[in-house]
Amino acid sequence: MMAVARRRPELGLLLWVAALGITGSVAVAAAEAAGFRPQQLVVPVTFVVIAFALHLFLAARGIRGDQLLLPIAAALTAIGLVLVQRLASNLLLQQLSWTLIAAGAFAATILVPRDLTALSRFKWTWALLGVLLLVSPLLPIIGREVNGARIWLGVGTVTFEPWEAVKILLVIFFAAYLEEFREVLAQTQRRGGPVPVPPVPYLVPIVAMWAIAMLVMVFEKDLGATLLFLGIFLAMLYLATGEAFYTLIGLLLLLVGGFVAYHAFGHVAARVDVWLRPFADDLRFGSGYQLVQGLFALANGGLFGAGLGNGMPERIPVVWSDFVFDAFAEEVGFAGALALLALYLLFVYRGMLIALRAPTPFLQLLAAGLSFIVALQTLVIVGGNARLIPLTGITLPFVAYGGSSLVTNWMLVALLIRVSDVTARVRGTP
Amino acid sequence: MEITFAVLLWGVRIAFLVILYVFLMRAFGVLHRALAAERAADGATRALGILIVERSPGRAPRVGERFPLRASTSIGRDAGNDVPLSDEAASARHAVLELRDGEWWVQDLGSTNGTLVNGTRIERAERLRAGDELAIGRIALRLETGGG
Repeated sequence: MMAVARRRPELGLLLWVAALGITGSVAVAAAEAAGFRPQQLVVPVTFVVIAFALHLFLAARGIRGDQLLLPIAAALTAIGLVLVQRLASNLLLQQLSWTLIAAGAFAATILVPRDLTALSRFKWTWALLGVLLLVSPLLPIIGREVNGARIWLGVGTVTFEPWEAVKILLVIFFAAYLEEFREVLAQTQRRGGPVPVPPVPYLVPIVAMWAIAMLVMVFEKDLGATLLFLGIFLAMLYLATGEAFYTLIGLLLLLVGGFVAYHAFGHVAARVDVWLRPFADDLRFGSGYQLVQGLFALANGGLFGAGLGNGMPERIPVVWSDFVFDAFAEEVGFAGALALLALYLLFVYRGMLIALRAPTPFLQLLAAGLSFIVALQTLVIVGGNARLIPLTGITLPFVAYGGSSLVTNWMLVALLIRVSDVTARVRGTP
Repeated sequence: MEITFAVLLWGVRIAFLVILYVFLMRAFGVLHRALAAERAADGATRALGILIVERSPGRAPRVGERFPLRASTSIGRDAGNDVPLSDEAASARHAVLELRDGEWWVQDLGSTNGTLVNGTRIERAERLRAGDELAIGRIALRLETGGG
């Protein structure tokens, strides 16, 4: 059992994840019922079994490289389950089944495709699929509008957020595209006088991405997706070319688009308005109510929080999907919120290290882009919850309630682990 | 009884936070050890390796020029190769050098004039050791791996 021994550090970390999930669940259940029944352990124990099964699966497949991402993702998912139990216990079983599906998607991504680099060969397929998924919520029958944003697909009672899958497809496409055209730039340094003009292979996608992002903002009314979409592209463009100027062009385009959208569309202006003056008399009990209650929850948390199950998160509307960070911070305080952010930091840091060490530009860009998704999403939603930036409908990765988000995030983890596996095989490290 | 329950409940709540931090510290520990192990392994294969030009009739590449290797390094006449060779006997994409499990392997990509390792034309992927000579057309390259 050589392979099992090799992944021992991962197993050690998962034991702590198990302890975390079970204590959290017990605390919430006991606080709610003022008593404790053993059957309340079913959910956390099921989750622990899933996490250990994934570990054994990786060990059995002889996967090498990273041992940190699976435990961190599992810890975040465990915190997510505790919070769903606390904030929307009627959705708990649903979230647990999504966790099971996410674990299946993780395992499938570890197995398929056998050769990770093969992904880059079908880049135009991914691009086409991504754009189709992106516009799919606009279709008449299957598209759904929820809370003002038209970003959902629905069949019966099952709804799916196609944007979540799009972000991974986009990163794969960008990585393949930028790898191909990196060499074009190295040979033809075309510069138009004092203002450097990007060569056509860069200019076209920059403008195309910006145009698509603006379409998403106008027709699907999803500010968060717009920001993520463009952010991922600009970050990967910068990583591939090292040209800060291209990123600057993109940011300027974003500013122009944002400015026009602010003046042209009510929903954008409303978001900014709530962000700037949530306590104003006309907003406090209206569209700014959610944010105001979120801020009260943050403040109420203090240094060590009110204790799990002891806060008042039910005051925040839709707290289980939009405001999990504030709810968590209220109950475990600054100390807990800091640890949560440190987990994300560690995840992203590990992902970037995997990117740095990856053997080919495609794998480097892939790993960097995937890590950047998690970083940007965390930044945008925590920033929105804390009123640092306007609030958007982005989910807190792994933690917020939501099936499509959980499934795609676990597929993201699988891809990162596979890149690190390839690297370990190439370099001959464990 | 009720007081015991309240104390227990607070115990569990505090335990949750403590476990969260222990997990975090353990995770940092695992990362730290993984990085140290990687550095040690890197020491063995030192910055992957370099190809040094031994013989070259033209000006590109010059004799003595050094090409740092990537885990998958392409060699050929095209300027897009990692190691571009301006020799009419070289094919556009001639050969590829790959690092597999800490060992260098060279593979001919079906070139017209073939690839020679230490004077012998190779048929399939061939293991390359430090100091081995790789000849393509009239150009000869020597593999060097820092640590050995």
